[in-house]
Amino acid sequence: MAIDSGTWINVGFYIYVSIAFAILALGFNLQWGYTGLFNAGIAGFFLIGAYTAAFAITPPTPPSIGYPGHLGGFSFPLPVGAVLAMVASGAVAALVALPTVRLRADYLAIATLAFAEVLRIFAINLESITAGTIGIPGLPAPVEFNPPDAFLNATVKVAVSAALILVLLLVLYFMAESPWGRVLRAVREDEEATMALGKNTFQYKLQAFALGGALMGLAGWLFVITLNYIEPTGSSAATTLGFAPAVTFSVWVMVIVGGAGNLRGSVVGAFVIYGFQWLSVQLKDFAPTELKEGIPYLRLMIVGVLLIVLIIYRPEGILRERKRVLR
Amino acid sequence: MSSVSEANPPAETPRLVRWREALRPTPRFRRQFLRAVIVAVIFLAFLAGLAALFGISILQYTLAGFRLSSIVIVAAIGLTVIYGIRGFANFAYGDLMTLGAYVALFVNMNLALSLIWGAIVSFLALAVVGILLEVLIFARLEGRGPVPPIVASVGVGLIIQNGINWGGTTQQWIFRIPAVTEIPIVPGIGFHWIRDFGTFVVGIGFVVSVHILLTYTNLGKAMRATADNLELAKATGINTKRVTYAAWALSCSFASTAGILLGLIGVLSPTMGFNVILLIFAAVIVGGIGSPYGAVLGGLVIGLSQEMSVPLLIWLERPDVLHLEHSTAYKVAIPFIVMIGVLIFRPWGIAGRPPAFARRVFFMERLTQVLGRRGDATEPVQGEGGG
Amino acid sequence: MNQTVGHPILRVQDIHKAFGGISAVDGCSLSVAPQSVTGLIGPNGAGKSTLFNIIAGLYRPDDGGIWFNDTRIDGLPPYEIVHLGLSKTWQIPHELRNMTVLENLVLGAKENSGEHLLNLFIRPGEVRRDEQRWRARARDVLKLTQLAGLANEHAKSLSGGQKKLLELARVLMTDPALVLLDEPVAGVNPTLAASLMDLIEKLRLEGRTFFLIEHDMNVVMNRCDRVIVMHQGRTIADGTPASVKANPVVIESYLGG
Repeated sequence: MAIDSGTWINVGFYIYVSIAFAILALGFNLQWGYTGLFNAGIAGFFLIGAYTAAFAITPPTPPSIGYPGHLGGFSFPLPVGAVLAMVASGAVAALVALPTVRLRADYLAIATLAFAEVLRIFAINLESITAGTIGIPGLPAPVEFNPPDAFLNATVKVAVSAALILVLLLVLYFMAESPWGRVLRAVREDEEATMALGKNTFQYKLQAFALGGALMGLAGWLFVITLNYIEPTGSSAATTLGFAPAVTFSVWVMVIVGGAGNLRGSVVGAFVIYGFQWLSVQLKDFAPTELKEGIPYLRLMIVGVLLIVLIIYRPEGILRERKRVLR
Repeated sequence: MSSVSEANPPAETPRLVRWREALRPTPRFRRQFLRAVIVAVIFLAFLAGLAALFGISILQYTLAGFRLSSIVIVAAIGLTVIYGIRGFANFAYGDLMTLGAYVALFVNMNLALSLIWGAIVSFLALAVVGILLEVLIFARLEGRGPVPPIVASVGVGLIIQNGINWGGTTQQWIFRIPAVTEIPIVPGIGFHWIRDFGTFVVGIGFVVSVHILLTYTNLGKAMRATADNLELAKATGINTKRVTYAAWALSCSFASTAGILLGLIGVLSPTMGFNVILLIFAAVIVGGIGSPYGAVLGGLVIGLSQEMSVPLLIWLERPDVLHLEHSTAYKVAIPFIVMIGVLIFRPWGIAGRPPAFARRVFFMERLTQVLGRRGDATEPVQGEGGG
Repeated sequence: MNQTVGHPILRVQDIHKAFGGISAVDGCSLSVAPQSVTGLIGPNGAGKSTLFNIIAGLYRPDDGGIWFNDTRIDGLPPYEIVHLGLSKTWQIPHELRNMTVLENLVLGAKENSGEHLLNLFIRPGEVRRDEQRWRARARDVLKLTQLAGLANEHAKSLSGGQKKLLELARVLMTDPALVLLDEPVAGVNPTLAASLMDLIEKLRLEGRTFFLIEHDMNVVMNRCDRVIVMHQGRTIADGTPASVKANPVVIESYLGG
C-alpha cells in the first residue's frame, strides 16, 4: 500500500466530517435556499440528532465516580439510531416552526438562535442525562474491528458517509425539483403572491423547516458514529466541531458559497470550507510559533471575512442556481 | 399657549415662563407617570411579600436584577436604535460590547489610567468603529432586506471576538478599580459602591441623556423621524446619512459602556458580550424594536426575570422537589422563554406598533377558530344584492 | 344610487378597514353581477386596492361581511378563497422573479398532486400525469396571452407590459369564476391593451366574471357593463358607464379629490 496509514486516517477524517457538514448544509439549504427560512439555530438541531443517536446506540453506562452517567444504553443498531435521530430533530423542528415560521426573517433568526443556545445550556447542565461537559465517549463505529484497526475503521467510515450522501443527494434532488419544491421556491420569491395563487404557504414552510431539521439530525447521527465521542461545548481549539454557534455560522458560509437552491453546491461548499479549516490544523505544525497559538482564531476570523465579502458581492453564491427549463 | 396679554407684561421674564410651560407635565405624561407609579407600587408590594415569606436576604436577587437591568437597558437602547434606523438585528453587538470592555481594559492596565478614562476612550473609540462599520460594510447592504446585514454582522462579530482571542488575551481579566468595601444593608445583602451604585447611576444617566437627545435636540428628532419612515424623512430634507452615522456612533458607544459595566460586575473574557447578546435581543424584542423607551421596559423585564428566578431555581434543586442539578445555570433560559412568548403573542413588543397589513398569523387565527368556532363562517345567506 | 343585482356573484356589505388610525375603507358596500365586466373607479386613495386585498383574503376587515356565491369569505385565508374560485391580480406585478414564466404559470394549478410531498413517493404516476397536464394547459394559456415564446425566460427579464400579461395568465391558471383585476392595462401599450380587453370579453362569454379597477376611462366606458365609484372608502355611485359619467357627485369627487 503506497498510502501512508496515518495520512489516510487523517484524510478520511476530513472526508467524513465534510460529509456531516454537507448534510447540515443540505438541511439549511432546504430551509433557506429553497424556502427562505433563515435558521440561526442549526447547531441546536444538530445537537438533538447527535444526542438522540448517542442515547440510542450506546451500551448502558451507569454513573460511577467521576462520571455522571447518561440517558440511554439501548444499544440499538446504528440504522435505528439514524431513524430516531431524524425523527427527534424533525419533530422538534416542527414544534419550533409552528410559532416561528410566520415571523419576519430576523425574528426567526433570533428565535432559533435562542433555541439553540437554551438547548446547549440544557445539554451542559442536565448531567444525569447527557453526562454534561464530560461527554459520552466510546460511541460505536459502523464496524468494530477486533483487533482495532484504525485504517480499516477510517475506510469503513468514509464508505458509509459517501454512500449516505449520495443517496441523500438523489432523494433530495427528486424532492426539491418536484412541483412541491417549486412551491417552496415560490414562497422564497414572494410569499404573498404564492398565497394569492392558492397555496397554503404556512404548511409548506412547516414541512421545509421540519425536513431540514430532520436532515440536521441525521448529520448529528453521522457525527456520532464517526467521531465516537460527543460533548456539548466543543473543544476550544476546534470550535467548529461541536454545537456552538460557530457551527451554525460555518454552515451559513458553506451554503452561501455553494449557492442558495443549489444542492450540489452545498456539498461542494462544505468540502471547501471545512477543507480550509482542516488544512489549517494540518499546517499548524509548519507555522511560525507566534502564529501557532492563534490558528483556530484566525480560521474563524477568515470565516467572518468570507461572510462579509460574500454577502456583499456574491450573495447568490459562487455556484449559481440553475434555471429550470420545463419541457 | 401663553395666557399673558401684551398690554400687561408679566412680572417674570418670558424665558422663565417658557421653561415653566416646557416643564409642566402634559396630561399624557401625567397618565403614564401614574401608570408607572401604580406598577412600581405593585412591584414593591410583591417584593415585600417575598421578603416576608422567605426572609429579607431574598432581596439580593432583586438587587442583582436591577443591576443586570441597568446594563441590559444601556445595551438595549444602543441595539434598538440601530434596529430602528437601519432595520436589522446587529448580531455583532455583543462582540462590540466586548471590544468596548477590552479597550477600557487596555487603558486601565497598560496605560495605568483610571477606569473612568478607559470608559471615555472606549466610548469615543467605539463610536468611530461604528461609523467605520457603516461606511465599509452596511451602507453597501442598504435595501437588501433583513438577512444580508445579519450575515455581515455575524462576520463582524466573528472577526472581533476571535481577534481579541488571538491578541493573546484568552485568560480572564478584572478591571483595576479602587478597593471598596461593601456596605452591608442586612445580613446577606451588600451594597457595593461601584458595582451597584455606579451601575445604577450610569444606567439612569444614559437613559436620561437619550431622552433629552431624542426629545429636545434636532438630531434626536431627525433620528426619530428616520426610524419611523426612511423615505419620508429623506423627502422632508433630513440628512439621513448623517443621522445613520450618528445612530451607529451612539449604538456602539452605548455598547462599549454596557460592556464596561458588564466587566465591572464580573470578569472580562472574549465571549462576555456574545454570551449576553441574546438577553439584549430579548429586551429589544420585548420592549418593541426601535423604541428606546421600550428598551428600558424590556431591559427591566429581562434583567429582573432572570435574576429573580434564581430563588425559584434553587428551590427546584432540592432533592425533594426536582433535584435539578446546576439549577441556577438555567436562569438565562427564563428571559428567552419570555421573549418567545412575546414573539408568539405580541411580536411588536410593549412599545411597538402592530404591523398594519398582511395576515401571516394563521397559527393564532387557526387556534382561535378551533377553540371558538366562528359560527357564521360558511353560512349560506339568501338575499338580494345592493346595500 | 345602488342598483339591485339579480343574484350577485360577489356581495360586499359594510366593510371597514383602518390602518393605524387612518380609515382606508369606511363602510363600503357593493355587489357584482355574474358573467359581467364590472369596473371600479375612483380618485387615488379611495380605497379600491385595499378593498380588493380584503376581498382576496390578504387583509382582514375590521368589520363587515363579504359573500362569494353565497359563501361567506371574509376571514378566510387567501388560498381557500382561490380554491372557491376567486382570484386577484396585483397592481404592481408580483411575478416570481427568479423563476421562469412557465414555472410561474404552472404554480397556478389548483390541484397538482405533485405539490404534496407524500404523493411524490406514493403516487408517482399520478404526479407525472398531473404535471404534464398542467404544463400543457400552461402553454395554452401562454398562447392565449401572447407570451408563448417566453416560456423559459426568467420572469424578471420581462418587460413591464409582459409582466402584466403574466399576471393575467397566472390568474387564469387558477380557473377562477370571478377575477379581480387591479389596473390590468396600466402601462400597457394601446394595442396590447385592446387585445387584453378582447381576451377578457372572450373569457366572459365562457362564463367568467371580471371586476376591475381601472383609471383608463376608455376601457371603463367602452368595456364595462357597470361601473361602481368609490370615494374616501365608500361607494358613491353605481350604474351604467354613461350614467356614472354624468353623475355630478362622481364628477365632484374627482375634481375635489
